[in-house]
Amino acid sequence: MHTEATPAEADVSELDLVKQSQAGNTEAFDQLVSRYRTRVFGMIYNMVHNEQDAWDLAQDSFVKAWKSIGRFRGQSSFYTWIYRIIMNVTIDWLRKKQVKGTGAEFDDAIQLKEINPASRTVPKADALPHERMEQREIRQRIDAAIAQLTPEHRAVILMKEIEDMQYHEIAEALDCSIGTVMSRLFYARKKLQNLLRGVYENI
Amino acid sequence: MKTFEEKFTAWIDDQLTGAERAQFEAALPDRVAADAEKEQAHKLGAFLKEQLKSRAMANEEFFHHQLRGRIAREKPDESEAQSLPDLRTTWWSIRRLLWAGATSLALFVVCTFFVVREKQTQQQSQYLSQILNARVDPAVSPDATVSIFQTKEDRVTVLWVDGLKSLPSDYAAK
Repeated sequence: MHTEATPAEADVSELDLVKQSQAGNTEAFDQLVSRYRTRVFGMIYNMVHNEQDAWDLAQDSFVKAWKSIGRFRGQSSFYTWIYRIIMNVTIDWLRKKQVKGTGAEFDDAIQLKEINPASRTVPKADALPHERMEQREIRQRIDAAIAQLTPEHRAVILMKEIEDMQYHEIAEALDCSIGTVMSRLFYARKKLQNLLRGVYENI
Repeated sequence: MKTFEEKFTAWIDDQLTGAERAQFEAALPDRVAADAEKEQAHKLGAFLKEQLKSRAMANEEFFHHQLRGRIAREKPDESEAQSLPDLRTTWWSIRRLLWAGATSLALFVVCTFFVVREKQTQQQSQYLSQILNARVDPAVSPDATVSIFQTKEDRVTVLWVDGLKSLPSDYAAK
């Protein structure tokens, strides 16, 4: 899994940072946050399609992680553990919000910068206006399609396709069986294929 | 793996072993359609990955600042202390529950013992025995009805006899 650590930060092992955080070292926890904040935020954003909500939920997830890091026993990787917290927080929020997939949840005003790890320090040429518009339309179509999935189906397809997580890792993050993960993936793919085939076939 | 959906997903993601894959592919009703669907799934995955790749926050430093503030508001040892008192509280609660349960059980056993003993030792009154043994000859008094009203607490029993033509000889007035 890709993290955002700088070479100096990467020298400190994740387990060390976790142990220091468990001892109450907020600086160590800060480093863990730095490593995962973009992925956490991106994952939540793809689930809720609203920048402010994704921000708040990412905050809540990290605060919850800090409060319960004493209970992390290292039986799974830290990112699987933190994904479990993220999924709990986000799915719970989505359920409470009772998202119906009407599109009302979308925040069209957001302007998020895409990260390309290979060119972080190299300015990227801006896309042409018609390309940007096309890109935005594609994004809206994807968001609308994902919004029609249940929170659990959203989580499974995003963790598998975007995060490249293994079945067992997804199962652990969602606290369900591997069979359930595979079954959800089957139906989520079917639905998204039906909704997006016209988009991805024509690019 | 049990269901078709699970096997199909594993097949699409190339998670089946050689033998499992051969078995699954042999059982497919329409191999061409399945291959097409597999290709579609791969296209969808690549498309989503391309379009939904990681995004930067608008203001990462402020995110950190805000998060630090929230964490600082948590009491210093709360992260560690929160779990320990919880455990201790839980442990004490469990112990208290066990003690309370054992005490209640003991009290119940003692009370049951005394109640049963009292019931066994309580002798039925001679008068009640006589009433229960009383017989009304249906040939002599066909319309007779006998009712018994009893209040054990007050040790009062009332025998109500209606339509009696004659008393049994052993109840005749002496």
